[in-house]
Parts: sequence; structure tokens; C-alpha cells
Amino acid sequence: MSAGLTRLWERLPLKKHAAQSRIRVFSNQDQPEIEDDEEFRVLSLRTVKQQFQRRQQVRRDPITPPRTTRMAVDQDWTAVWPGPRSFHPASVPLPLRQGFTERGAAAPSKFANAELMKIPNFLHLTPPAIRQQCEAIKRFCTPWPKGLETEAKWQRHFPIEVTTTDYCQSLPTIRNPEARKVTVSLKLSDLRFDSHSRDKFLRLVGDRYNKETDILTIVTDRCPQKKQNYDYALYLLTACYHESFVTEPWEETKSEADMEEYLFERNQSKISAEGILNWNAKEGAPKESPSKSYANSVEQLINEGENEYNLGKYKEEVKKMLNIV
Amino acid sequence: MLKVLKTLRWAQPVRALSAVTATSGTQAHVSPTTPVPEPDKLYSKLEIEMRGIDPAVLKSYTWFATTAAEHLGIEKGKCWSPRKAHHERMTLLKSVHIYKKHRVQYEVRTHFRYMNFHKLTGSTLDTFLEYIERNLPEGVALQASRTELQQVPEHLRQPPEQV
Amino acid sequence: MNFLKKLVPQAAAEVQQLSRSSIHTSVVCCRVQSGRYRITTKRNRALTYEMANPPHFIGHRKSWNSWNTSTLKDALRPSQTAIEDVFIRKFVTGTWHALVCSEIIIKRQHNTIRIAALIRQAITPRKMYFLIGYTEELLSYWMQCPVTLELQTVGDKKDVVFKYI
Repeated sequence: MSAGLTRLWERLPLKKHAAQSRIRVFSNQDQPEIEDDEEFRVLSLRTVKQQFQRRQQVRRDPITPPRTTRMAVDQDWTAVWPGPRSFHPASVPLPLRQGFTERGAAAPSKFANAELMKIPNFLHLTPPAIRQQCEAIKRFCTPWPKGLETEAKWQRHFPIEVTTTDYCQSLPTIRNPEARKVTVSLKLSDLRFDSHSRDKFLRLVGDRYNKETDILTIVTDRCPQKKQNYDYALYLLTACYHESFVTEPWEETKSEADMEEYLFERNQSKISAEGILNWNAKEGAPKESPSKSYANSVEQLINEGENEYNLGKYKEEVKKMLNIV
Repeated sequence: MLKVLKTLRWAQPVRALSAVTATSGTQAHVSPTTPVPEPDKLYSKLEIEMRGIDPAVLKSYTWFATTAAEHLGIEKGKCWSPRKAHHERMTLLKSVHIYKKHRVQYEVRTHFRYMNFHKLTGSTLDTFLEYIERNLPEGVALQASRTELQQVPEHLRQPPEQV
Repeated sequence: MNFLKKLVPQAAAEVQQLSRSSIHTSVVCCRVQSGRYRITTKRNRALTYEMANPPHFIGHRKSWNSWNTSTLKDALRPSQTAIEDVFIRKFVTGTWHALVCSEIIIKRQHNTIRIAALIRQAITPRKMYFLIGYTEELLSYWMQCPVTLELQTVGDKKDVVFKYI
């Protein structure tokens, strides 16, 4: 059986050879012949293993080398990195390294380094880029007007200060409920008052007035919009100002006990002093009234309280008035 | 006093865009009623507060903003940051159920940084603020409070005559 | 998370059923294990830089994966942002199946979301471009804001390995 097989096998290549030579005649090519018939073919009954050993080669597209290798030294960096972007090692020609390692080991390089991708970079805001962009937007800017250099100068013409706040956050919405707040502040000395209206105005505004700095501050956050709050603040200011000039009929009934400070003009001490000065005066003669400095010293003594200076001054004034020297 | 005020009104800058339309209107003689240039607003102070989780990013951003202000000719005020960050802490048990003495703390830190700019006109402020807001890095919240200067309104200059 | 409900109407009911079952994932329970890896006997567990540093090194040795202003003091909608981030992470890892080699970094700037990740070069560039467009389009539809993918590719998974334990 086996002898018959080998004989058959020996005869086969002869035919093959003949066929190949015939082809060679037609194609007229000088090819070396492949002599694979010299090896014995191995009969393997378990062919399964061999089939799996031949792995399929994964065909991969050629990967281009990083762009940094082709970059010129004097390139325009603002064109390479025009806007905010996560770090990409193939575009940045810097030998960066990032990461903590044990002592002696080098930090991880820029390729496949997630730490470099995480940190926000300012590669689009290099000094030349900032200068370039600022020169482009400079034509929208206007200089500060002359004559208003110092705070004292601008406060004379623009006494009211309006403070508003804008918010910029990384959210899908641009609305922030805090942005509605408006603060209007001005010095009270910039508004004109008489003594009654000033007193009434201060009572109306309450603790919005700072006594030490003489500044009135109105903060409004009632309305949902900034513009509405600003209008409301100005409305409050206007309403309080105009209301303070109104004298209600019941304000006339303010008695001495309701006064918040002592006034010489409307008190008993003035009548007594006049009585002393006009002692034994004839009927119809011009009345003498106590001097202004005396009135001041009495007011000071009662409003500020008794201290050494006020008492001494009062003593001097009394002596002067009574001509006791 | 009045004279000074008048000269001041003249010296006040006009809003860039409205000024352009006004001049083009006069040149073309198309519209007989040239729009009156709207006087620009004046801001005495622009205070910017930044919050972020990484102080280094805030520092870089401050450098960017102050450099831009220098290029645009804006007067820079005090730039500072508080030394310590705000810590928001949450203390939990380390184990699931008992062992009260063993706790663990989580915290979120918020770093602050402040910048001040002085004496800006309305158009300068809008330009500058939009420029730096557009370049705001991720993870940084910005809060800009501006102080506008205004004249006393007409109806508050004199005491009311009839009340 | 209305869009999630729209996305999977049946899932909402299932979640309610699940919440009744005795699965608990509280903060306390996960703390000791989360983000920490055990040493293997053969010393062949591959760790990236991110995995090699446990969570208490955030801000010292490694930085944050989510960059937004919602976690700051007095910030708006912290919970919505966190849930959206989880959703983006799940969507991207699922869409780029077995391709993502690192954590997914989500950066929010104004109203835009930028997503950065390391991707393995296992698929053809053509498929990769399709997936980029697909991810951006769907995410921007759900989040109602522009989404940009900023990917970096690595040749092999071993490129991102920092150490073996």
C-alpha cells in the first residue's frame, strides 16, 4: 500500500515540471524554480493545533510621527495653539514631565500622561499672544477723562456710586440669582437739607446711614432683575428725600420731652438768663439777650455732659455775662 | 464751577460704537438727525474675585489679567489672596456601624484671589472684562463687581419747592 | 436628570425597585477600599499613574478628574453637575468600548464641556472619527451645551502603565 503511494508521489512532480516549463515558454520569463518537492510531507493526524498557531496579523495603519518633529524653531506659536485646549504631546515641542515618583526615578514623560491633560494650561495665553490680542482690542478702549484724576475731583461731580456684581461660572446657565443686588451709596453732604428735613431723613433711612463716614448706603435685592433693583434704589432715595421736606401737622406737637437734643432757644434757661440781664429794666427799653457764646456753652454742657472743659467754659461765660471779674 | 462742568462733559469720552455711527452719519449726510452720542459711563473701581480649587491656576490667571491690563493701559490696584483656603469639612465614621473614636474627614478647599482695577471708562471696562472672562480657565469662578460713578439726578439737586 | 428618564423610561421603574432591595453603597462603606489596589503575589497587576496614587493624594500628587465650579463655595447646582459627570463617564467608556486607557477628564468652561481621555489605537481612524462625532453629537444633545472631545491615542495598553504591584 505504502509502496504504491510513494510511486504515485514520485510520478507527480514530473507532470508538474512539464506544466511549468510549458508556461515558461509562453511567458518567456527567467524565474527560479521553486523546488518544494524535495521535502517530505509530514502526515499529521492532529492538524487542529497547527491551524491555530498561525495567528492573524493585525493590519495597522501607519501612525504619523508627532507634529513636533516637523516644527520650525521660529514658528508662530499663536497659530499652533490658538485657543484653550487640553494638552497634547504631539503639538507641544517642550520636553515636559509631570508626576511624582520615588527618589531617583524620572517623572513620567509627556506622552500618554493623563496628569498633563488634566491641569488647565495657558499655552494659548503666552506673552506674545496677549500682546497681539490686546493690540487688536485696544481700539475699543477709551482713556479716562482729564480733570478727574483723583477721588476728591471725581466725587465733586459724580457723588453717587452704584455697585453691581457679575458672575461668570462654568454652568449651562448664565443666570446667577446673586447678580440682582444693587448697592447705591452717596455722601449725605451732597444733598441739600434744612435742619428739620435732615433730621427726618435720617429717621427715615435708619441704619443705612453711617454716622462716622457720613455715607448713606442703600442695598436693594427685592426685584428679580438688576435694572429693576437699581430703579427701586433710586426711587427709595427720591421718595425719602421728598418726604423729609413734608411737615406733618402732628410734628408741631413735639414737646420738650420728645426733643433728641437740648436747644438753648426753646428752653427755660434762656428765659431765666434774659430775666437776669433785663433786671430792673424800664418798660419799652430794648431787651438784652444772652450772648451767643453763652448759649453755646450751655448747649454743650447739657448735650455732651459735664466734664472739666465744659464746666470751666460755662463758668467763664457766666462770669462774663454777669460782669464778675 | 459751571464752566468746569461744561468742559468736563466735553472731555467725557463717548462710547466707541455710538461715536462711530455719529461720525459716519455726519459724513454721509444721509440721516438729517444725527444721533446724539451717548455719554460713556465711568467706573472708579473694578474688583474681581476668583475662586478655584488649584491656587497655581489662579496665580497664572492673575498674571494673565494683569498683563492684559498693562497692555490696555488700565490702572492696576491691589492684587492679593488670603493666605488660607476655605475648607468645607465633613466628618464621618470610618467604619460602617460602631467605633466612634475612629473618624475620617473629607474636605473641599476653595482658594480665593482678588484683583483691583481703577479708573475705567465704560467701553474699556466692557472690553477688558469680556477679554479676561473669555479666557477664564476651567474650574475657576469669577465674580466682578464694578463701581459706577453717577451724577446726582436733577430732581435731587434742589430741595422740592412745594411739598 | 430628566434626560436620563427620557433616555431609559423602563430603567426609572427598575431603579425604584432596586432602591428597596438591600444594596447599600454609602460613603462610609466604600471609603477604606475605594481607589486602593492590593498587591498581587505575582506582582503583575498593572497600575496607571492615577491608580498608583490613592485618593488622599488628590491635589498633591495627582489632580482632579472633573474641573468645574460647582464644588466651590456658594456655587450653584453641585449635585446636577456630579450626576452629569457620572453619566458622561459611563457613556464614553461604553461608546469607546475597551478603548479608554485612562480616567475620563471632564472640564467645564463657561457652558462648554471638554472631555479628554487616552484612547488605544485599536480601531481604524475612520471608525475613531465616527465615534468622536457620535459622542459629541449625542452628548451635546443631552447636556444642551457644546461638547468637545480632546483625545490622545496610545499605541498599546502598556504605554500608560506606571508600575506593577
